[in-house]
Amino acid sequence: MLQNSSMSSLLLHRINGGGGATTATNCHDTVFMTVPDGVARYHTHAVAPNQCCSSVAQEIGASVATVWSVLRRFDNPQAYKHFVKSCHVIGGDGDVGTLREVHVISGLPAARSTERLEILDDERHVISFSVVGGDHRLANYRSVTTLHPTASSASGGCSGTVVVESYVVDVPPGNTREDTRVFVDTIVKCNLQSLAQTAENLTLRKNNNNDYKCCS
Amino acid sequence: MAGICCGVVGEGDTPAPLEPTPRPSRRRSLDILPLKYIADMPMPPPEALRKRPKLNLRDCDNAIENCDESTGHKVTKKESKVDYDDDVVSETKNVTVSEVEEESPKFGVTSVCGRRRDMEDSVSVRPCFTQGFHYFGVFDGHGCSHVATMCKERLHEIVNEEIESARENLEWKLTMENGFARMDDEVHRRSQSNQTFTCRCELQTPHCDAVGSTAVVAVVTPDKIVVSNCGDSRAVLCRNGVAIPLSSDHKPDRPDELLRVQSKGGRVIYWDGPRVLGVLAMSRAIGDNYLKPYVISEPEVMVTERTEEDECLILASDGLWDVVSNETACGVVRMCLKAQKPPGSPGSDVAADGSDRACSDASILLTKLALARHSSDNVSVVVVDLRRDQRQSSNYNDVN
Repeated sequence: MLQNSSMSSLLLHRINGGGGATTATNCHDTVFMTVPDGVARYHTHAVAPNQCCSSVAQEIGASVATVWSVLRRFDNPQAYKHFVKSCHVIGGDGDVGTLREVHVISGLPAARSTERLEILDDERHVISFSVVGGDHRLANYRSVTTLHPTASSASGGCSGTVVVESYVVDVPPGNTREDTRVFVDTIVKCNLQSLAQTAENLTLRKNNNNDYKCCS
Repeated sequence: MAGICCGVVGEGDTPAPLEPTPRPSRRRSLDILPLKYIADMPMPPPEALRKRPKLNLRDCDNAIENCDESTGHKVTKKESKVDYDDDVVSETKNVTVSEVEEESPKFGVTSVCGRRRDMEDSVSVRPCFTQGFHYFGVFDGHGCSHVATMCKERLHEIVNEEIESARENLEWKLTMENGFARMDDEVHRRSQSNQTFTCRCELQTPHCDAVGSTAVVAVVTPDKIVVSNCGDSRAVLCRNGVAIPLSSDHKPDRPDELLRVQSKGGRVIYWDGPRVLGVLAMSRAIGDNYLKPYVISEPEVMVTERTEEDECLILASDGLWDVVSNETACGVVRMCLKAQKPPGSPGSDVAADGSDRACSDASILLTKLALARHSSDNVSVVVVDLRRDQRQSSNYNDVN
């Protein structure tokens, strides 16, 4: 697969999960090549025989700092996740180990999800959570999301960000790996697209504020 | 039949308490219906039958309320606001007897939250909304209520504009398809703007792409019934005691819908029932922009000639149809219509707003039946009296 394809939000990345014993699997070779070395290891998941993994990438026309300010709010996922109706922190102090209870909007095959913050790295812009309970069919779900500047932005162009989210999850009884990937990729892709819109709107607002010489 | 239903409820059924979990689509095959029918309504002992020689809505209400209490759940019956056109009062007063002119038909509306936490259904009734046509719509929202609310407030206006622009060459299929497409466009443009919604959802982003609604709309003219459907709400005509579906539910596993979704590159995955991409339990809806082009807003339009045998029209959300068959619903409504007072008698129950006691009783009874059968969704029901001799008598009565 071409390197460019991982930048396209229209493409869903496919992975053949480990068929044998538990193995360490990079969720996507292309992602591995485009994610900086410092954070590529975060997208390495242990995949059990009954599990599948996948990843979704999205380019955002906003700076890493702006995107991170939205993404890192483990207590406020509804700021950008369309499928979240409300969220309540039910344990922890905001750092690793914090638990949140997410209520999902109606019409979806889920009602609640209890999630634990696993990684929150403000230097490397890495956030990870696992699903530890709730009313849904995604058992043992764990995701990692990382941010890094786009290639053009790194070489001095306009600021842009690439967000990559990879996950591993059990395949529910009665469904196939492909079913599970299509379902979860749809949700993750929608989330990352709305993260892009939210961050870009923030950038617009900041730029407008700067026009009036307000503190940004 | 409804008497038997009341008997069943009155005998102290104690169903297991329901958790407010998302309800998988229970598709009942036709073969199973008769068995479930029998299982749902065991024959009460003869003494019980003798105690209820006539339908008494008051007893029925009490019975269902007892049932609700016994489940340990307080059924939240937040009546959603139903918009009645304010002009209907003056129009009713001004009506004159005419061979051609059609007075607005009698109707009844019920819309309740039921066992869900939020009310996301909307109902729109617009008697005489244009040139003697009457408009009835049921909208079952998902994700939030604002798309269904927009449909309630705007779709009849859009359809009216389409009808006016069609002039003498009114082609119902094209007119309704254009109306639904414009409604979907409006929903999409609204979600792209920075307007805030007045709905109670806690979504903070203005990009509410994951919100949508069903739409089943009936336009009743002097000689036709035009039903346009998008999603899994439903319209049923009762003609000479026979239930005739005027719409077909857009479930993702309906063979032609499955093929259409797949031809667009989508997939139907069984995830708590058949869902488009495993996410949405219907294959057509207004809104839901993130699932286009798999989930489309194009309605299926059915034009039916009216006949003297037409008795009533029922529009309802799947909160009703998932637990009540077309035949049962028609039977309930027919019974309520037969039980109504003779037209023109003192104290005739025709409300000034055009709604009708018998039709209202029918819609209330259907709603209570759905709740008694453990529907776990919002329930919205519109019942329209299509009988003609009734209106002729009513016209003369109005002149007096």
